[in-house]
Amino acid sequence: MSGGAAALTLACLGFLLVVAYQQTTADEPARSKAREALIQQVQNRREQTAQLQGRADRLGDEVDALRERELGGATAAKLRELEAATGLASVRGSGAKITLADGPTPINPVTGERNTVARVKDSDLQLATNALWSRGAEAIAINGQRLTATSTIRQAGEAVLVDFRPVTTPYEVVAIGPDDLAADFRDGYAGRFFKQLADKYGMSFEATDVANVTLEAATELKLRVAVPSTPPPAPSGYPSAEAQPRNSSSEGGR
Amino acid sequence: MIAVLALFAGVLLGIVLHPTVPVALQPYLPIAVVAALDAVFGGVRAKLDGIFDDKQFVISFISNVLVAALIVYLGDQLGVGTQLSTGVVVVLGVRIFGNVAAIRRHLFSA
Repeated sequence: MSGGAAALTLACLGFLLVVAYQQTTADEPARSKAREALIQQVQNRREQTAQLQGRADRLGDEVDALRERELGGATAAKLRELEAATGLASVRGSGAKITLADGPTPINPVTGERNTVARVKDSDLQLATNALWSRGAEAIAINGQRLTATSTIRQAGEAVLVDFRPVTTPYEVVAIGPDDLAADFRDGYAGRFFKQLADKYGMSFEATDVANVTLEAATELKLRVAVPSTPPPAPSGYPSAEAQPRNSSSEGGR
Repeated sequence: MIAVLALFAGVLLGIVLHPTVPVALQPYLPIAVVAALDAVFGGVRAKLDGIFDDKQFVISFISNVLVAALIVYLGDQLGVGTQLSTGVVVVLGVRIFGNVAAIRRHLFSA
């Protein structure tokens, strides 16, 4: 009896080993399958986003065309001017390009900490843009990100966010404005300040003239206040047709 | 000889039947394998020591597997299933190494 029992136990054992092996190998494809499914989903969503973006662009163009047809020449031209000034439309022209880049950030061999004193900070970019606005710049973009009246330039940890989108070194502040904008900037307070930073900490700073640059429209500009040009036939339920301007919390940029 | 044949029979059975393990039992599988390995090495050692006993082998195999499963079950109920599984694996691993060392001394006298 006992010999048979031992044989049976060993048979059980072999069975157990095989089941465990099969279970382990069966788990693996399931894991990679899940991963592939996720990748597929991400790609699908990306395509969807691109399609929707294309549709939004097409509809935006359509709206522009219709508006132009309805409003007629003078008003449309005035509207275009306004859009260019506020950052709603792309603009083309000459001006200045301010390039700021992080200096060396050596790691202290003893403490292992990184010395970030030569890094370009949000306040530096704010200073640069404010100086450009004050010297007659009509449109400014940081690394291709167009600034509007409500744009924000803020620091979040190590990254600088322009309108909540991260920008990285080297920072290119391109401004469209008067012809002597670059020279003006260099000689002004901001230019001297950056020159000093460059000399002292190894930051790189450059202000050059640029011609024929195109600044794209701002990606997102929320409509905050709207006033109807003709009083509407007072709809019931609405307390007032005129919306009160919200207290905007934006700073920097301008 | 019969033992080896029985082992092969078990392996073949597993391959042919290709059973699927229910999800609820999956945590017990690795523990059961380790416990069974411990019983096998114990059996081989006893055989080489000349004190192998069929009955003891069978009972030790079954009790090892059951106790290991019980501990993991208890751990699952207490919310420390993975820790207790690790504990079981460590304890059985130590025993397996002890048995293998004894077998090695018998075979190679080293």
